[in-house]
Amino acid sequence: MGYLKDERPTTIGVEGGWNLGAYHYKGSRLLEEYVAGLKHKKLTGSFCPGCARVIVPPRNLCGRCHRKMDGRKTVSDRGTITCFVVSPPIYKGKLKVLGMDPVEIGLVKDGQVVIPVFVKFDGSDSNTDTVLLNADPKDVHIGMRVKVVWAKELQGSLADVEGVEPI
Amino acid sequence: MKRRNVAVIGCGQTKHSSRRRDVNVAEMVSEAVYNALEDAQVSAREVDAFVVGNMPGFGGVAQPEQWIAESLGAAGKPVLRIATGGTTGGSVGQGGYYVVASGLHDMVVAVAWEKHSDSKEAGATTGLLHVGLGNFFHAAGYGLSLKNLVATSVVGAAAGVAVYQAMFYMHRSGCGIEHFDMVAAKARRNAAKNKYAHLQWPGCTAEDIAKTDIVTYPFRYGHICPASDGASAIVVAEESLARKKAKQPAWFKGLASYTDEENQLQSENFGGVGVTDPSEQRGCWLSAVKAYRMAGIVDPKTEIDVAEIYQPFPSQELFFAERLGLFDEGTAWMALETGETEIEGRMPLDPSGGVNATNAIGSSAMQRILECALQIMGKAEEHQVPKKVRNALAHGWGGVTNYSTVTVLGDTPGR
Ligand SMILES: [Zn+2]
Repeated sequence: MGYLKDERPTTIGVEGGWNLGAYHYKGSRLLEEYVAGLKHKKLTGSFCPGCARVIVPPRNLCGRCHRKMDGRKTVSDRGTITCFVVSPPIYKGKLKVLGMDPVEIGLVKDGQVVIPVFVKFDGSDSNTDTVLLNADPKDVHIGMRVKVVWAKELQGSLADVEGVEPI
Repeated sequence: MKRRNVAVIGCGQTKHSSRRRDVNVAEMVSEAVYNALEDAQVSAREVDAFVVGNMPGFGGVAQPEQWIAESLGAAGKPVLRIATGGTTGGSVGQGGYYVVASGLHDMVVAVAWEKHSDSKEAGATTGLLHVGLGNFFHAAGYGLSLKNLVATSVVGAAAGVAVYQAMFYMHRSGCGIEHFDMVAAKARRNAAKNKYAHLQWPGCTAEDIAKTDIVTYPFRYGHICPASDGASAIVVAEESLARKKAKQPAWFKGLASYTDEENQLQSENFGGVGVTDPSEQRGCWLSAVKAYRMAGIVDPKTEIDVAEIYQPFPSQELFFAERLGLFDEGTAWMALETGETEIEGRMPLDPSGGVNATNAIGSSAMQRILECALQIMGKAEEHQVPKKVRNALAHGWGGVTNYSTVTVLGDTPGR
């Protein structure tokens, strides 16, 4: 039942690419402030005058109070894992990130697992997404204490935080 | 507030499957609409307006509503498209209610759909990139490390969100992966009794599901919903028409849709996430409270007879059932163990198999409303719950995991 155009038996596809660069985005300058702090091993959060929450990295508006989070607070680079996920082993040729194979370009070793985690840094009220390093997947648990693994050369970029590791 | 009483008087679906290559979007959508019109015994001429919707960017056409009008017989009539991510179908169903309750129209068709197979990448890349592109692009300008992007990619968009939720729920409720096996097995078993469902497995057991490999702990292959092609439609009418056309209309008694702050993807500007437990789902709880109040329901545990919960992942059936007030905090998995949530149980959850067995995303939350209507009308055939259904609860979930829709349908208008 339904209206059917019967001149074609199946759907068809066409070859082609799509230019993501055709889109524009306007972001805030808050990350500039945040990465400037990272250069000095400082984690900057924004403070809400309405509910007193501290969010890391900083946000412009409090999601619940709808107030401007004008205040700033530096929080500890130590914190607690609130959630984690252990990935399946990543093998060469199985995953593409931005068109690149993470094993081929040396980001992860063949067969390595990655452990994305949410961390609540001491003094903050938010989850920050990062990865757990230097840990046995069997030992990871919610409530695990961790600290930031800082990059050897700090550049004032999000990459300055390589991840976290167990304390 | 003056609102007219409104009811669902007809339901129509397509058979859901991985690839409906034999039809295009317009043809597939018309299939569901014609089935709904036939079920309601009304002609397309009698329909005043159409409320339609699917996920933006998931299929091959960005604005399919622009060329479905002629297939639906909607030319010369109002067509209103609504898109709210995973809750799209719930919002489309509620949109059908709004335009009739307000007095704007007397009879409308609300139809929602998804045609995943029209995208080579099954929505996962093209569609979900639309959700995440803004913040990733922004963060890339500040040196977001590739290693972190790998981490995000391996967890994978929607599944990743659900994995975190599941971990939180397990931690605070004490439920285990074996309960996810049980929910998924129930979904496939129930789906086998629903001729429109996608993943059907008669007699499927938790042991069968437990044999499937882990994708990302705590999820196995057997836990994960399919990507379906399909559409579902309801005919919605005001009271006098509803009483004339349907022996047992399914009345909209209460509905609400609440959101909360974004709770997983580090927001538009890559800021931290203020909701520290993504399974908290405050929007769902707020929606339920409001919808129950409107429906005059005081104790959902005893007054709701059956619920269709949006559960692409089995953990979601459990914690959403708690958020909807059907079980006490952290106890839904115990009710599952004792069979309370089976078709013939005390509180049947997803007798249709739910989203876990059939996921045509835009349509998924609409199907919850449609399935509740079938239960009230007594038309759910093999998956009809054996008890008298007075109130049925339909839930939808989406957004950056912060949107919810809750709709209570009943066998009387309730006021
Ligand atoms: Zn606040």
